[in-house]
This record gives sequence, structure tokens and C-alpha cells, in this order.
Amino acid sequence: MRLRPAKPPGRLITLVPLVDAMLILLVFFLVTSTYLDLDRLPLAETRQQAGAGAGPADTLLIRLAPDGTAVISGRPVGDLETAARVALGPDPVAGVLLFPSPAASVQALVSAMEALTRAGAPSIRIVRTDAP
Amino acid sequence: MKLSRPRPRAMPETILPLIDVVFFLLVFSLLVGRMDATAPFELTPPVSDAGTDLPGGGVMVMVSSDGALALDGTAISPVALSLALEEALDASPDLSVRINADGEGALRHLLTLIGRLEEVGAREILLVVTPDPR
Repeated sequence: MRLRPAKPPGRLITLVPLVDAMLILLVFFLVTSTYLDLDRLPLAETRQQAGAGAGPADTLLIRLAPDGTAVISGRPVGDLETAARVALGPDPVAGVLLFPSPAASVQALVSAMEALTRAGAPSIRIVRTDAP
Repeated sequence: MKLSRPRPRAMPETILPLIDVVFFLLVFSLLVGRMDATAPFELTPPVSDAGTDLPGGGVMVMVSSDGALALDGTAISPVALSLALEEALDASPDLSVRINADGEGALRHLLTLIGRLEEVGAREILLVVTPDPR
């Protein structure tokens, strides 16, 4: 009778280093990351699309003063959304031309765009001016 | 002769559930988050609830409140920015350019940048906003 020698038991792979590595990775990501909830507002469309749109007669002109106040027809407006809703009517087809002062803040422009979007403006175009 | 009973062997502590949980957390944080370069200056994006989900890809141009610029986290001069973007847009004309501008910064910096981006042929320009935390 020929006896085979017993196979040596396989080496036990310990999982502890794996857990260590994963924990370190996890903590690294948690510590080094900055969690920000970011969204987008489209600012420019393709030139082909920009050519089409409402004509000058169907356009509502709004100026944005350096302090962020919206001005429609020379009159400062407190609540831009309501004023734009009234000016655009119930079924707005008119586009909006926005003339922001270069001294106004980015937040003022964003707030104005948000108010105009809520008021139902179908298109908003920003016109760069050199006026203060 | 007194024979003592052998002590019952303690159950081996399985660390598999721990690995599972750590793995889930790791994958979760990798999937939920998106790696974006951080600006080399203090920057708070404008607040707006009208924004939609920010897509991935593209390049990120950061504008500080005093008009300093950064491209994907690296400070850059306006001329170098135009050159870099022109090169990137030549390679990929549909490249989306995301502008992360400080909300309190003057619009002159942002409007100048948008003009410059349109000059170099950017077709899709997005402004990064953050929803109102309230």
C-alpha cells in the first residue's frame, strides 16, 4: 500500500489588511472631499439658435442697476417676477433683453434670470454694456 | 482522576460584514460624488433654485470676486486661458465650459469672460449655481 503524504493546509489569507486599506480610503475620501450641491444655468447657446427668436418689437427690455435693482421702462422694480409677469402677459411670447450693469453682482444677474424664468420669459438674452 | 471539560472554542469573529459595510460606503461615496478641482481662491457660487443638474465633463473656469481666473483648479491669466480653451475647443468643438463665478463678484469679470469664451468658439457655456439651502 502506498500512502500519499497529506497535503499541507493552504495558507490562510487574512482579510484584515484589506479592511484596513478600505477604511483608510474611505476616511481619505470623507475627509478630503468638499460636498457641494451644484447646479447649472445655461448662459450661451449655439450661434445658430441665438439668431432665431423674438423680434425687437416683441422684446421686454430690463436694465439691472449696479445695486442689483431691476429697472423696466425707467422705473425701478421691487419684485421683478411680478413686474415681468405683468409686462409679459398671461401667454408670454416676448423675449427679454437684460442689460446688466457691469458693477452689479453675479448674484443679482442670477436672481434676475431666476425671476424672469419664473415669470415665464421664453428667452432671456444678456446684453453687455459699458455703462456703470 | 478528574477530567476537566475542554473549554468551548470561541466563535471566530467574522469580519466579512464589516468589509461589506465599508465597501458599500466606499462605493457610495465614489458614485454619489463627483471629483472636481477646487478653486485656488475663496469662491461661493451664486444661489438659485432655477438651476438644473450639472452635467459631468467639460472644463471648469473659476472666477474669484476680484476677477482672478482659474482653469480646472489652476490659476491662469486671461491670455493663457483663451489659448488653452482655444486649443481644447479645436480638439473638441462641443466642449462645455462651466463657469464657477463668485456670487458677490462684479459682473464685469463674468461678462468679459463670456465674451472671451464666445470669441474662442465655446458653444455651450454654463454658469454654476447652488440651490438655496433653506
